[in-house]
Amino acid sequence: MIRQLVTRDSVAVTGSIIGLASLPLGWLTLKSSRLAAGTSLSLWQVVGWDGTMVMLGLWLIALTLSLTKKTKWQAISLGISANVILIITLALAGFESSRMLEAEETFARVSPSAGIWVTLIASYILVFAARQGLQEAPAWRHLVSWTGLAAIGIMLAIGWLDSLSLVQEFSGREARFQQELVRHISLFAGSVTVGTLIGVPLGIWAVRSRRAEKPIFYLANITQTIPSLALFGLVIAPLSALSFAFPFLREIGIRGVGPAPAFIALVIYSLLPIVRNTFVGLRQLDPAVIDAGLGMGMSRAQVFRRIEAPLAAPLVLEGVRTASVQSVGLTTVAALIGAGGLGWFVFQGLGQAATDLILLGAIPIIGLALVVDTVMRTLVRLSTPKGLGGGEP
Amino acid sequence: MIRLEHVTKIYGDTLAVDDLSLEVNEGEVCVLIGPSGCGKTSTLRMVNRLIEPTSGRILVNGKDIRQVRPERLRQSIGYAIQSVGLFPHLTVGANIATVPELLHWEKSRIARRVEELLELVGLDPKEYAQKYPSQLSGGEAQRIGVARALAADPPILLMDEPFGAVDPLTRERLQAQFSSIQQELKKTVILVTHDLDEAIRLADRIAVMSAGKLVQYDTPEAILSRPASKFVHDFVGADRALKRLSRISIQGFVHPSPSIGVNATLSEAMAALQSHRSAWVVDHQGQLLGWVDQTTLSAAASVREAIVAQDVTEISLSSSATLREALSRMLGQGFKSIPVVDENRRLIGEVTLSDVEAATAEAEA
Ligand SMILES: Nc1ncnc2c1ncn2[C@@H]1O[C@H](COP(=O)(O)OP(=O)(O)OP(=O)(O)O)[C@@H](O)[C@H]1O
Ligand SMILES: [Mg+2]
Repeated sequence: MIRQLVTRDSVAVTGSIIGLASLPLGWLTLKSSRLAAGTSLSLWQVVGWDGTMVMLGLWLIALTLSLTKKTKWQAISLGISANVILIITLALAGFESSRMLEAEETFARVSPSAGIWVTLIASYILVFAARQGLQEAPAWRHLVSWTGLAAIGIMLAIGWLDSLSLVQEFSGREARFQQELVRHISLFAGSVTVGTLIGVPLGIWAVRSRRAEKPIFYLANITQTIPSLALFGLVIAPLSALSFAFPFLREIGIRGVGPAPAFIALVIYSLLPIVRNTFVGLRQLDPAVIDAGLGMGMSRAQVFRRIEAPLAAPLVLEGVRTASVQSVGLTTVAALIGAGGLGWFVFQGLGQAATDLILLGAIPIIGLALVVDTVMRTLVRLSTPKGLGGGEP
Repeated sequence: MIRLEHVTKIYGDTLAVDDLSLEVNEGEVCVLIGPSGCGKTSTLRMVNRLIEPTSGRILVNGKDIRQVRPERLRQSIGYAIQSVGLFPHLTVGANIATVPELLHWEKSRIARRVEELLELVGLDPKEYAQKYPSQLSGGEAQRIGVARALAADPPILLMDEPFGAVDPLTRERLQAQFSSIQQELKKTVILVTHDLDEAIRLADRIAVMSAGKLVQYDTPEAILSRPASKFVHDFVGADRALKRLSRISIQGFVHPSPSIGVNATLSEAMAALQSHRSAWVVDHQGQLLGWVDQTTLSAAASVREAIVAQDVTEISLSSSATLREALSRMLGQGFKSIPVVDENRRLIGEVTLSDVEAATAEAEA
């Protein structure tokens, strides 16, 4: 019977155990200045024993729920407790950090340490587990997924978290942050758009022509094996040569370093998933279906538009999704060759050993990747024709 | 209507179709048959220009098809391919509507046509029009494939093993359905199969192919009784006499049979059995109930009690049956004669074993 109970939901159980394990970790770090080494304070040093008991109690509730039989209400309760944990943790962090700063000097900083980060991760593992149980109840699924994030947004907006050093790093650099965020988005979105415009025709060409197939995939595969920084480097040399040869290029912003080479490298990277998926999407089509189309009197173009395109679309978009998520990450590296983007914060932070600055870049990058992934998955789902079992039982 | 003149098709170094000449008249069903790889599909696909002949020419309605734009040509020729090839992302209705849409028919006309065709192939339009191909059984999919080929009412149909992928029972049903549709629509049809029974059943003329060549082109009867070569002889097989019977309708062989009303008295019944060993029993509407013989009658108190009642549908035939079916029933039931009934199960007459023997002898001659 115990065994029956225990194997209920391994994801949720893992999340709860990670959550419990976060309790003894350091919670907040107090530093005398931005770059100074800090002292780590544990949960009970920050919120006292009663606060600690509340957190412990919440995690035990989550663990119990993880071990109970999976039902809709179990999933909802699990999701709600995860969100409660998340909100309480951040609320406490915000409140306690400003309390601590009041007693300190102007340059002092308080930043979240491992305990808080682990708690956030653990609660999102629970959210994920709860989502699985709520496939049939979209309203609850959305509530469970987004409440925590909404609460974070509200706390940020009303300044509740202002005393956390991460937020302080942000407020000092708001304009810069906005600029780099926009830069990041335009670099990845632009490169994937261009990659799609080149990759889809290349994929179609590879399907249509035996002769083209080999070289196209040879090149596309090679690009993926080059480490990203090396590819950025490889693009720099010819581009600087070009810009020296043709000064007008420099005037419109194309130089050996900067956004131009990064953009080119990102386009090259996005090609393989798009070309490959376009190729597979078209190649996997039942030849009989195309034969039927032609036999029925459709022109080649009509066969493409009415049959091949709709049937291959989900796979092509799946390739664009892979390329997009990959590109969000790779754009980070682009900062190294002066292209800017959120990677700028990461590498600045690394250079200064300023963890908060690193996080100021890294967290939005992760968020961006998740958003892009979700949006693209939705597009893939919407583009899947009904008859192909997309959504059909 | 369709005329192939010295048509040859060579792929690389494979000679797929070798100097083939063939003419199919309007309203006729020509069945292409032969071993796998003998060039049947290649021949068919040259007629709608899905592939081009290496040499020779093809005329449709007296016009060289090279002078017609392939799309135009194909829209006027229904094509049902071997693997059905329904568009998986479109509903059954949209699949059937393909050619009418290419021809820019009006929406309401297309909708009416889809409904009509679904009914024609025996599927309920309300239930099936909105289904997707993945929700169909193999037999249903093949019927939709045929309906799609018929959609714009093309005068010519090319069918590549249209009933290939279904169980024998369903195939027989689809064949019967095809025959009755064809009787009504009178299309010019080229149908590919490698099932000889199917060819015999459906064809006005059979074209037997071997290694790209046309080895015999004649009516099923002639092919069965006078194979032109050892190849055709072996191909039609040793049981061709039996196969020939399936081309002959029982209609010419039905004669009146002794029958007794179920309410007749025992002595009336005995009198009727003077000249026969057994007699069919019918009710007051003439519907077949079973049969009686002298032994059962002498042991019973009334005619009704004496009836050897079997499943009537198993012992009787409809008048559209063939001699082969009659023979098969006789052997199955151990009868020397088989009753023939109309659609209301009323007794029309009977067919006897000696009729079958006579028909065999006649065809042999
Ligand atoms: N596209 C092609 N390229 C090369 N050879 C081909 C091609 N299509 C058919 N063939 C060859 O031509 C010959 C005739 O093929 P075809 O498809 O017409 O035969 P079939 O009579 O329809 O056979 P089956 O009964 O198996 O369908 C075969 O030897 C086949 O391998
Ligand atoms: Mg074939």
